[in-house]
Amino acid sequence: METSDLSQHISRRFNEDMEHVRTRVLAMGGLVEELLAKALNSLIEGDSSLGESVARDDLAVNGMEVAIDEECSRILATRAPAAGDLRLIVAIIKTITDLERIGDEGEKIGNISARLAAMERPENRYREIKHMGRIVAEMVHDALDAFARLDSQQAVRVARRDRMVDEEYEAIQRQCITFMMEDPRSIRRALDVMWIVRSLERVGDHAKNICEYVIYMVHGKDVRHTKLEDVERDLQEAASRPL
Amino acid sequence: MNLPPAVWFLLARLGGVVLLGALVGALLGSLIGGIALALAAALGWQLMNLFWLDGWLRDRANRSPPDVSGVWGDVVSQVVRLHRRKRFHKQRLLELFRELRRSTAAMPDGVIILNAQWEIVWFNRTAGRLLGLRRRVDDGMALTNLIREPSLARYLQQGEFAEPHVLARGEPRVHLSFQVVPYGREQRLMLVRDVSRQVALESMRKDFVANASHELRSPLTVVTGYVETLLQDDALDPALRAPLTEMQRQTQRMNGIVSDLLDLSRLDANEREVQGEPIDVVALCAVLRKDILARASHPEVQLDMASDAKLLGDPAEVLSAFSNLADNAAKYTPHTGRVRLRWSIDADGSARFEVEDTGPGIAPEHLPRLTERFYRVDEGRSRDAGGSGLGLAIVKHVLQHHGAALDVQSTPGVGSRFSCVFPSRRVIGGARGENLPPAIRTA
Repeated sequence: METSDLSQHISRRFNEDMEHVRTRVLAMGGLVEELLAKALNSLIEGDSSLGESVARDDLAVNGMEVAIDEECSRILATRAPAAGDLRLIVAIIKTITDLERIGDEGEKIGNISARLAAMERPENRYREIKHMGRIVAEMVHDALDAFARLDSQQAVRVARRDRMVDEEYEAIQRQCITFMMEDPRSIRRALDVMWIVRSLERVGDHAKNICEYVIYMVHGKDVRHTKLEDVERDLQEAASRPL
Repeated sequence: MNLPPAVWFLLARLGGVVLLGALVGALLGSLIGGIALALAAALGWQLMNLFWLDGWLRDRANRSPPDVSGVWGDVVSQVVRLHRRKRFHKQRLLELFRELRRSTAAMPDGVIILNAQWEIVWFNRTAGRLLGLRRRVDDGMALTNLIREPSLARYLQQGEFAEPHVLARGEPRVHLSFQVVPYGREQRLMLVRDVSRQVALESMRKDFVANASHELRSPLTVVTGYVETLLQDDALDPALRAPLTEMQRQTQRMNGIVSDLLDLSRLDANEREVQGEPIDVVALCAVLRKDILARASHPEVQLDMASDAKLLGDPAEVLSAFSNLADNAAKYTPHTGRVRLRWSIDADGSARFEVEDTGPGIAPEHLPRLTERFYRVDEGRSRDAGGSGLGLAIVKHVLQHHGAALDVQSTPGVGSRFSCVFPSRRVIGGARGENLPPAIRTA
C-alpha cells in the first residue's frame, strides 16, 4: 500500500480519519523519542530533576495510547475498513502498544538515573551506555520514519540493527560482571547500570517490532518470528515480481 | 468580397471540377449524374484532407505536417505557427521557473513550502540535507510526521511566528532554527537554518559571565572585610575616614552588581518555564511595603489588593522581580510622592501585579530599551541612586520563566506604572475585588 492510496477513498471523512490517526501515532512517537532522549541525558549528565520529569512525560504517552486505541476502535466499528486500511489500523494498534512500552522503559531509565545522580559517577561517564543509547534512539527514530514513509526496505535495515544492540548488551553485561568481581563496593551501581542496559535492549526489541508492523502494513506479510534474511529475500522477490 | 486567395483558388477549382463533371456527363448522356459524381469526388477529397489534418493534430510530435494544398494548407501552416509561438513562450517560462528553482535550491538556508495542513509541497536541497527529507517520497507528507519533536508541533499549532523556533536534533547535536513565513493563500514558507554556531557562542558568553562574576566575588569579599575592619578601628586617622566610607559604599555597590549578574546568569541558564508553588502575593506585597518604609527617606506606600488569588511560581524569583520593581519605584519617587502596589485579576482571568509611582517618569524613547542590561535612562542620577543597572533585566527574565509579560507605561513629570501580567493558568483561586473584606483592600 502506498501513501497515495490513502487519498483514494470515496468518503473524504474516512480519508481524514485515517490520516489523523496516523499523524497522532507519529506525534506519540515524537513524545516517546523525546522521553527516551531525556532519560539518557539525565543519566549521562547526572541530572536527577530531568530523570524525575520523565515520569510526567510517560503519563502523557499513556494517555495518548488510550486515546489512539479508542479512535482505532471507532474507525473499525463505523467504517469497517478492508485490505490496506485494515492492515494500517491493526498495525497502529500494535505499534502504540510498543511505543507505550518504550515509554515505560524510558521511565525506568529516568528513575534509575535520578538515583544514580546522587552517587559518584564512573570515570568513563557511562560512555558505553551513551553509545548503546545512541544506537537504540536512532533505531526508534528510523523505525518511526519507516512507519511515516511506509518504507519496508528501511524497516528491514532498522530491524537488522537490533543485533548490534544485543551485542552491546552482552559486552556491557560482561564489563559489569568484571567490575563487580574487582570491587564489591561497585555492585550496587553495576546492578543499576544493568537494569538500564536491560531496558535499552528492550527498547531495541520494541523498535524492531514496529519495523515488523511496517512490513506487515506494506506487504500484508506477517514476519514475526521469521529470520531477517528470509524476510529480506522474500521482499526482494516481491519487488522484482510485477504486481 | 474580400476573401483570401486560397478560397478563390478553391472556388475556382470547384468550378473547374463541376464543369469537367458536366462535360463528361454530357458526353455519356447524363449531365446531372456527371455533376453529382464530380461533386462527390470533390467532397471525398476534402474529407480525405480533413482526415489527414486530424491524424496529424493527434500525433503532431512524431509526424511532419501533411503536404496539402488550398485552405487545408493554410490551416496547417496556421496551426504550426501557433504551436511554435506557444512552445517559445512555454520554453521561456520554463527556463525562468527552473532558474528560480535552481536559485532557491542553491540557497544556504533550508526552504520548505508547506500547505495549510502543514504538508510538504516542495523543499530545497539544504532543507533535505538538514532534516533528512527524501525527494518525491516525502512530498505531501505532514511535516510533523517526519520532524516529530513535540515542541515543533506545539510551535506550529500556536500560530505565532514572530520568533523562530530552535530545536536540537540528531547525533552529533545540531541546533536548527525554524521560521515560518505565511504567504499567499494558506501557503507557508519555512526557513530552516543551522544555528549550532550561534548557540555555542551564546552558551560560551553565558558561561563567561557566570564564571567572571563568580571569580570577582572572592577578591571583593576580602576588600569588603578589610574596609569594614579599618572603619571600626578607633585609632583611624580622621582624614582617612571619608575616603574609606566611600570605598565601603562602592564595594557594596559592586557586591550588588556581582550578585545581580550571578542571578541573571542563573536565570539565563534555565529557559524552561518553572512549575513553581502557590505564592501568597498579598503577604508578599505587605513585606515589600515594609521594606520601602524601612528606607531613610521614603514616599507614601499604598497597597491596593483587589484579589487574594495566589500566584503559581518560583517564590525566590518572584520575590526578586517584585522587589526590584518596588525598589525602583521607591528610589525614584521623592518622599513627598506616592507608590502604589496593586494585585488584581483581569476580566480574562490573567493576574496583574502593578507598581505605580509619582516619580519623574521615563521619556518614551527609553521605554523599549529599559530591560537591557546596564541601560541607563539618566547617566548621572542612577549612579547616585546606586542601582546595578540589572534590575529590570532580572524582572524580564523572571517574567519569561513564568510565561508573563512586562508592560511599562510612563508620562514624564507625572509618574510610571510597571505591570506584570501573568497568564490565567498561573492563578489559583482568589475572589474578585468587591467580595474581599475591606481590611485586605486597604491593608
